[in-house]
Amino acid sequence: MSQTVQLPNVCDFMTRHLVDVFDTMLAMPAVLVPQAALPRFGERVTGSVGFAGDNVTGAVYLHLSAEFANRVAAVMLGLPPEEILGEHDVNDVVGEATNMLTGGLKSWLCDAGSSCAVSTPAIIRGAFAVEAMPDVAREFLVFESGTERVIVEIHIKLN
Amino acid sequence: MATKILSVDDSRTIRMIVGRTFKPYDCQICEAGNGEEGLAAAAREKPDLIILDVTMPVMDGVTMLGKLKEDPALKTIPVIMLTAESGRENVLQIAKLGVRDYLVKPFKEEQLIEKASRIVTLQKKPAA
Repeated sequence: MSQTVQLPNVCDFMTRHLVDVFDTMLAMPAVLVPQAALPRFGERVTGSVGFAGDNVTGAVYLHLSAEFANRVAAVMLGLPPEEILGEHDVNDVVGEATNMLTGGLKSWLCDAGSSCAVSTPAIIRGAFAVEAMPDVAREFLVFESGTERVIVEIHIKLN
Repeated sequence: MATKILSVDDSRTIRMIVGRTFKPYDCQICEAGNGEEGLAAAAREKPDLIILDVTMPVMDGVTMLGKLKEDPALKTIPVIMLTAESGRENVLQIAKLGVRDYLVKPFKEEQLIEKASRIVTLQKKPAA
């Protein structure tokens, strides 16, 4: 076992992985902003993927402003950045990005001895807050990509 | 004759990326949104290569690959699996299934071309 499943380690891994996903799939920089205040997006697009196993359960949420989600979708689909896409296309891209993030976490957890399965991605749109269940640790990682902010929200319960 | 590639993924995003990746080459791309549709498309199109996602609704990539390998008419079609999971357990499971190669998401387009070109001939389209 090469790593210990504790929240700070999970956050370290997710920080590296988000940077890798943005760099590889979007050729966009993403830099962690330590102790940043949570940005207020107004209209947002959130991808979520759950994971569950004998030793660990939780979920990963990827929050983007609706405007930035549109730009990310255009870049990933190889369209001009100013292209206005349908909700379905934007949802699919944000869902796939969340799937990549959580798939990486799943692999990391499995290699640490906490095997788990992941759900298919779901998308939530609107202005809202996600509440954590009792005894679930929650962490927000705020990233800067150019002038935009991205939030990765991790809910994790170690059994 | 164009190289025929079947992309099986429930994400339209990934299918579009696969299509874009092979656009500079003399390839014909067919698509399917899950394993069930992928099996039907494989039987119909007889592709030279299948790019297959692991996690999909209706029928996942592992089940589709198993059925492909049971079918005498389809079992020799080479498969590259796409997975978001790079863990040892997952990689070992995929290797046991008889795939030719696998690629972990996120991936760069040139990585997919490199892996595909080891299996099929990719001819650049002449400049227009």
